[in-house]
Order: sequence, then structure tokens, then C-alpha cells
Amino acid sequence: MNRPIKGLAVLTAAAIVTLAAHEARAHAVCGDRVFPPTLTMDDPGVGDELSLPTIQFTPIPASGGNPPGHTVDYGYEWDKTITKDLGFAFNGDYFTQHGAAQNLHGWDNVTVTLKDELPCNDAHEFLVSVGVIRQFAGTGSSQLLNAGAISTVSNTAPTLYVGKGLGDLPIGYLRPLAVTGELGYQFSDSPSLSPNQWASSASLQYSFPYLQQHVKALDLPAFVGRLIPLVEVSLSTPPHGSTTGTISPGILYEADTWQAGIEAVIPANDATRRSRGTGFIVQFHLFLDDLLPNSFGKPLFDTDLWQ
Amino acid sequence: MTFAACVLATAEAWAHAFLDHAAPAVGSTLGASPAAVRIWFTQELEPAFSGIEVTDATGARVDVGTPVVDAKDHTLLIVGLKKLPPGEYKVHWHVISVDTHATEGNFSFRVGP
Repeated sequence: MNRPIKGLAVLTAAAIVTLAAHEARAHAVCGDRVFPPTLTMDDPGVGDELSLPTIQFTPIPASGGNPPGHTVDYGYEWDKTITKDLGFAFNGDYFTQHGAAQNLHGWDNVTVTLKDELPCNDAHEFLVSVGVIRQFAGTGSSQLLNAGAISTVSNTAPTLYVGKGLGDLPIGYLRPLAVTGELGYQFSDSPSLSPNQWASSASLQYSFPYLQQHVKALDLPAFVGRLIPLVEVSLSTPPHGSTTGTISPGILYEADTWQAGIEAVIPANDATRRSRGTGFIVQFHLFLDDLLPNSFGKPLFDTDLWQ
Repeated sequence: MTFAACVLATAEAWAHAFLDHAAPAVGSTLGASPAAVRIWFTQELEPAFSGIEVTDATGARVDVGTPVVDAKDHTLLIVGLKKLPPGEYKVHWHVISVDTHATEGNFSFRVGP
């Protein structure tokens, strides 16, 4: 394998691992609105939850004489509240790559998020959180590290999370719509080796539970009444170079104590398509505050920093 | 996956209480004044901390009496109503489920043509 081709393969693996590593999900209620955990981005709240597993399949196109291949990423995340509004999250994933430039497998670097949920505006279903995401280089496997598939440089990303339900607007059957967003700037510990960059994500959701509970009770099958179709968009923008990202349409099923979701993960532009094809992501998510309300599912301290 | 299955299998199946269905139905139009608002929730409720307020278009309360959890069905919360003239009415509910999770919500119904 010549060096440019190996470089592309490494970039491909690194990009896929990076996208997977920044998943962080929680469960948030604001007024009539429940912001569900999303699959490729964080939601605007904190909670006691467990995503296990999150599985992402990504095809790798043939390039430069290398055959096509694919990656499969097996992710986990544990969200824990410290107080009612302050929480942390651990997440990571086991990464495998088959075919393409080389076969790879091993643990990705661990990411830890500290996040605080500000008081929400119930009437306007408007929720904001602020957080810091820290990726710890050197916590992943040596094989991925040696292949350059995971970062050798840690980074820290102050991040803003926003959620807005449209239930306060006089728009009839569109009131179940909600938008969420996440914007962070990753400060590298060594920008000369790994550049700083912006990371942004947004989602548009239509909640059938919200429709049934707050707008108009339609004669829908119970299963349909628990569905939330959505589309998520995630982008990374380095200071020099092309923006890359994905568009992920899919659907969530919201049970009382768990959630399941599936989305297609589509390259957002040509720069992204050079390194990955259209794949998919699935997730099983547990609401620990409901399942284990007297142990793992409650805050360590029964207080709220804002009250 | 095994851990997740174990958690589901061993955990007490409690959760936040959300509206399952209501009478009058969410967003419905009635030909005559209903005698009460009944809301069925997805979980059993703590009676002492659960309530319903119903207001008319001016914000005036039109519910009467103390909201009660049905003696046989602990997921059902009921409040009586005054005789309602035609108009739009807003229902605000706030409940605490038996695992102490608090939730609240709103919906509207209409009386008249």
C-alpha cells in the first residue's frame, strides 16, 4: 500500500471513529415536551440512562486500488446525574474495520462529558444545557492507535445544547415538531498534530406521543402513537479543509422505560462520500431513572444547582 | 446487550406517568358539556400529589371539587366540571407516579359547534 492510500484509509477510520465517539445521549422533559435521546448527537438535557448497544455500520468505498470494506462500531454510553441538573456521561465503542486498506479492531478512546441543564422555559418548551466534552487519547487500543485510526491527541470541547418544541405555536398538527441543536468547539491539546475544529449537529423531530397527548388524540394504533420520526445532521468543520458530515433520517420508538431507534447515515457532501458510503445506526436505550429509581437511576445529591 | 437485558428483567417496571388517553379526548369537540374530565395515565398515581385544573378562555377555573384518583383504577384521575357553555377549555394536569416521578401537561377540548 502506498502512503497516500494508507493515509486515506487512516483518515476514513479516524473520521468514522470520531463521529461515533461524540454520541452522548440523555433524556429531557421541558413543559409538555419530551426531548428523546437521539442517535448521532446529544439531546439538550441530562439524565440517568444507558445506551447499550449503539451499533453503526458504515461502508467504505473502494479507492486507490484498495477494495471496498466496511466498519462496524459497537458503542455504549452511561449517563449519570450528580444533582438533578448536573450530570456526566461516559461513552466509548469497540471499532472494527473489515476489508478496505486493512483490517482493524479495538477499543476507541474514552470520552467523558460533564453537562449542566439550565432551568427550562416550560411554556415555550425551550431547554438549554452547557457542557464540556473531553476525549482522552491513549485510552483506546494500541492497534487502532498504531494504525492512526484513533487520535493520539486529547481534546476538550465546550458545547452548547439547545432544544425547542413548537407546541407553543398556533400551527395545529405541526405542534409536535421540535428542533434540537448542539454546537461545540474542540480544542486540541496539540493543535499542530490534531487541529481544533467546530462540531455541530441539529435534529428535526415529529413526536406522535406529543400529538396524541397534547394536540389531537387520533385513532392511531398504539404502536404508531409511540413513534418519533426524525432527521439528524452532524457536521465537522476544521479550520483548513472541507466540512464533512452526515444526514440521518430515521425513527424512534418510545416505550415507558426504554427506547429503540434506527437511522440511515448518509454522507452529507462529496467530501464525506470520498471516505464513507451510506450506512445505518441502531440503538437500544434504557431510562435508568424509571428502571432503577432508588439506586442507579437517581441523582447522587437530591438538589438542583439552580433552585 | 446481556447487561441491558438483565436490567430490564430485574428492574421494577415503574416510569414517569404520561397521559395515555382522556375523556373528553385531547383536541376533541363535544356537543354538550361533559360532567367531568377523566385522564388515564401510563402509571399508577399518588393521589395526594396529583391534580387537574380546567380553565375557560378567560383563564377562569371551571373545575369543581377535589380531583380524585379512582379507587379501583389507580391510573385514572378525575375532576368534576361546572356546566360549560360553548367555548374552548384548557386542561392542565400534574401528577406524581408511585415511584415519585413528577410530570405535567396540557391539552384542550371544545364545547359547542
